[in-house]
Amino acid sequence: MYRYDEFDAALVRERVEEFRDQVARRASGALTEDQFKPLRLMNGVYLQLHAYMLRVAVPYGTMDSRQMRRLAHIARTYDKGYGHFTTRTNIQYNWPALTDLPAILEDLASVEMHAIQTSGNCIRNVTTDVFAGAADDEIEDPRPWCEILRQWSTIHPEFSFLPRKFKVAVIGGPNDRAAIRTHDVGLEIVGRDGNDTLFRVFVGGGQGRLPHIGKEIATDVRGTELLAYLTAILRAYNLLGRRDNIHKARIKILVESLGIEAFRAEVDRQFETLRDEDLRLPQAEVERIRAYFAPPAFETLDGSSGAFDRAVLADPDFARWNRNNVRRHRQPGYASAVISLKGLGEVPGDITDTQMEVVADLAERYSFDEVRAAYEQNLVLPHVKLDDLPSVWRALLAAGLATPNADLATDVIACPGLDYCSLANARSIPVAQALSKRLADLDYQERVGPVRINMSGCINACGHHHVGHIGVLGVDRKGEEYYQITVGGSPDEQAALGQIVGRSLPSEAVAPAIQRALDRYLEIREDGERFIDTVRRVGHEPFGEAIYEGLDAAV
Amino acid sequence: MKLLTANRLDDGRVIYWAEGGETTGVLREAARLDAVMAETALARARSRPDVFVNPYLVEAIDGVPSGRDRIKETIRATGPTVGNSLPHPASAGAR
Ligand code: HEM
Ligand code: SF4
Repeated sequence: MYRYDEFDAALVRERVEEFRDQVARRASGALTEDQFKPLRLMNGVYLQLHAYMLRVAVPYGTMDSRQMRRLAHIARTYDKGYGHFTTRTNIQYNWPALTDLPAILEDLASVEMHAIQTSGNCIRNVTTDVFAGAADDEIEDPRPWCEILRQWSTIHPEFSFLPRKFKVAVIGGPNDRAAIRTHDVGLEIVGRDGNDTLFRVFVGGGQGRLPHIGKEIATDVRGTELLAYLTAILRAYNLLGRRDNIHKARIKILVESLGIEAFRAEVDRQFETLRDEDLRLPQAEVERIRAYFAPPAFETLDGSSGAFDRAVLADPDFARWNRNNVRRHRQPGYASAVISLKGLGEVPGDITDTQMEVVADLAERYSFDEVRAAYEQNLVLPHVKLDDLPSVWRALLAAGLATPNADLATDVIACPGLDYCSLANARSIPVAQALSKRLADLDYQERVGPVRINMSGCINACGHHHVGHIGVLGVDRKGEEYYQITVGGSPDEQAALGQIVGRSLPSEAVAPAIQRALDRYLEIREDGERFIDTVRRVGHEPFGEAIYEGLDAAV
Repeated sequence: MKLLTANRLDDGRVIYWAEGGETTGVLREAARLDAVMAETALARARSRPDVFVNPYLVEAIDGVPSGRDRIKETIRATGPTVGNSLPHPASAGAR
């Protein structure tokens, strides 16, 4: 894992001290809210409905047990004993007092964490595949590149006042588990040329009011020239992007209005001058960063495990968890385990301080001291020996963390919605909970198989509803909460935006409507088809029909 | 009738303007203001930025939020309707 060097440590410490001073001046009334707001946003602090909210970055989703324990400590000491993991591998605290924030940031700095660039119009926390360094379909571990981007973009003067926020995600192979095409820039490692890594580059993805799927801008950018290429993209954006209208300021709007060809030509023009400058990454520097992410000391195992096989046979609950939450590993005899933060009727992405402690212990004992945060608002123990899976499962079960529903219908992605968020039109958590309870039957969920259901409380789309196989968007109809449903979105390598199926529904109608859509899929699917495959084959209409079946036309 | 609300500076909690310019975290203790009183209260709250962050007026009938934002204002008053934050602190922590 990457460790802060002196430069990183000093920078984070300076920022804590600077913010401590700003908070003191705000608390004394010397700074007005208007003056303070940009300063707090630079440190990940929002003001929500009920309290301040702090968003802490988990760089590329990777944490060790020490960091997880510190997150638990913060939840316990300064919040209400829990935190909320987001789709961008950040953790949000919903209740910190303004005057506690400097102490929290100091606690974070002591474990090499911070909240810098988790909001504002800068380059945000770089995200990646939750199975990076473990997946068997990976060409190369993308995390060294995330770290290189983190160092390059942290407090970069040219990119601290962009027209709008800028999100980057990196994956190490062809299967996209990080939704890179929903990002402003998505990077996919496609191969090697000698020692140099080659990247396919997507640009102009984004959610929100005007959603766009990222477009391919380059097919083989060299790793040593990656910073020059990204600088070229950002420079083109900084020069040409709109600053007059907040809704038109994202790079997706620029790419759309110029067209990808013209945008590519502008980037190439910038790149021609930049690629010869000192932005070229020395191969030795790439190797130095790579060394931090060297694979852990795996044992040489033959890939079978008696303890594991016996547990699968003996305990149907373990067998079910293994079927749904355990993923193949590149190293024989190991697996990655998904820790679902989607317990029956729970809040998607929430985890209590005691659960965090359990996860930290398990990471330390069984997963080379590593735990990951996933796009799906779950956690992952990336490197667990098959022999140890039964013990890990029992510990998770005791902590209420063994819900065997990863990637199934109740593994819902949802934003905080109107229960917390001042921008919301409608609540999302109760709708997610109602769905979770309605579809609780695990046999049913397994029959339906993988399906991604996403909910957002407003068009900002923090719950990524546009790219849910089924998306739910909260809308305001004359002061009442209504929900618009989309079908056919997809966040992966076949990224697509969902289609709106019809008029919006009241809250209590949403879960039954989604179940009818899933039932329709069970009726019409062909052999081996997942939900999204069937949608792609037949279109969204049959699902729209099922969703409105039996509903009063006046709804 | 209107209520005046804001977030409290030091901890961000929801507060209301109560009789005599006091603050309260409890909705039913909020002063019920007619149009003139509401504007006066707003001006006074704005002049106390060390307590009131983003003060604004809420439409209410019998002290209960009405109008378009009634759900949002009810949730602000009573806390998240679900989840790990229950029960709500605003009332307990009111000063
Ligand atoms: C509760 C406080 C939050 C606030 C005030 C907030 C605000 C926003 C806003 C205004 C946007 C739209 C940006 C734009 O269109 O340019 C946005 C987008 C987004 N937010 Fe949030 N958000 C919050 C929480 C979350 C949470 C909890 C998550 C994850 C579950 C999240 C993930 C995202 C993502 C993935 C996007 C889409 C980025 C894009 O447009 O490409 N946010 N957020
Ligand atoms: S989608 Fe809307 S309601 Fe949900 S967190 Fe984002 S801004 Fe708030």
